[in-house]
Amino acid sequence: MGKIVGGFLVPHDPVMFIAPQAPQEAIAQRMWGAFATCAERLAGLNATSVVVIGADHYMLFGTGCLPQYLIGTGDVDGPIDPLPGLRRGVIPDSQKLASFIAEHGHANGFDWAVGRAFTVDHAVAIPNQLIIEPVRAQGQQIGTIPVYLASGVDPFIKMRRAIQLGAAIKAAIEASPDDERVVVIGSGGISHWVGVPEMGKVNEAFDREIMDYAVRGDLAGMEALSDDYILTNGGNGGMEIRQWACAMGAMPGAKGEIIDYAAVPEWVTGLGFVQLHA
Amino acid sequence: MSRNVVEKLLYQLCIDRSVKQRFKEEADKLLTRYALTDEERHWVQTFDVAALQKHGVHPMLTMGFWQENAPNRSPMAYMKALRPESSATEPMFSAALKQ
Repeated sequence: MGKIVGGFLVPHDPVMFIAPQAPQEAIAQRMWGAFATCAERLAGLNATSVVVIGADHYMLFGTGCLPQYLIGTGDVDGPIDPLPGLRRGVIPDSQKLASFIAEHGHANGFDWAVGRAFTVDHAVAIPNQLIIEPVRAQGQQIGTIPVYLASGVDPFIKMRRAIQLGAAIKAAIEASPDDERVVVIGSGGISHWVGVPEMGKVNEAFDREIMDYAVRGDLAGMEALSDDYILTNGGNGGMEIRQWACAMGAMPGAKGEIIDYAAVPEWVTGLGFVQLHA
Repeated sequence: MSRNVVEKLLYQLCIDRSVKQRFKEEADKLLTRYALTDEERHWVQTFDVAALQKHGVHPMLTMGFWQENAPNRSPMAYMKALRPESSATEPMFSAALKQ
């Protein structure tokens, strides 16, 4: 029987890699340092697998097929969108558990789309490199399980369904035959406007509202947020809080601890880092 | 809905090298494969990302389309194209976008 032993809610901001010098140095160091803190804390959790929940950015899935949610059950590599300092390569996977999560979902009302040889984008690759890889480098063997929600491209997954999907991931992990120790990472947000005239705007009030839901483990509060409210106050990139909701749904009752936060318009995003304590 | 076929085209122009090459070399011929209106064809060929967005086209695709295919692919040029009337007076939100 597997167990979720912890969680993190983090950004996956590609502009950190494209323009690392753009913000004040102290802010930049704090944000890179927040990822390093997540890695240190992950190391202490002795995880065997990490489920990283991201969103496609209209790179992985085209108009021919837009899945509501997908899990990578086989080989994993990426990112499809390499960045300076984020090179494409093979990502250690966790095929047995990932396949079990898909099968368990299929038997229990969650029709996962699956990627049997899946190339991730930066939504999964950034947390994988900055949080998981440093722990692997210390000798721990950890498989990455990519999960993608329709948060970037419409039709968007409903917030309620994202939370339910998190619960389904939890149920599957706890029903799995192996004694895996699993960490979930909700990767995305918080406020940002992508590709639109407002790009670069950040709404700290919205960001703090969302982090507060995470700190209090307030799933009902997250679920009550309408798409219109999120789009108006958090931007089209703010829809990625569905990944946070999904991770929170996998850890009902968990309280969050803010590791760090900064509104960084130079990196076009409000960057929030929260640890969910099991 | 016409937005869909525009997005199909822009998606391919983001990820498919052969489509990008054909767009560069013989755009008129390439675009006959897509059920675009004359207006949509014009917006694509002139990189009018503002008009495409007003038409409902997804902003991640207009941005990717620009970054992969426009004569000046810089983020700053994209933002100017997106805000043609205000770019001279409004500050850019992001220092990163100025690079």
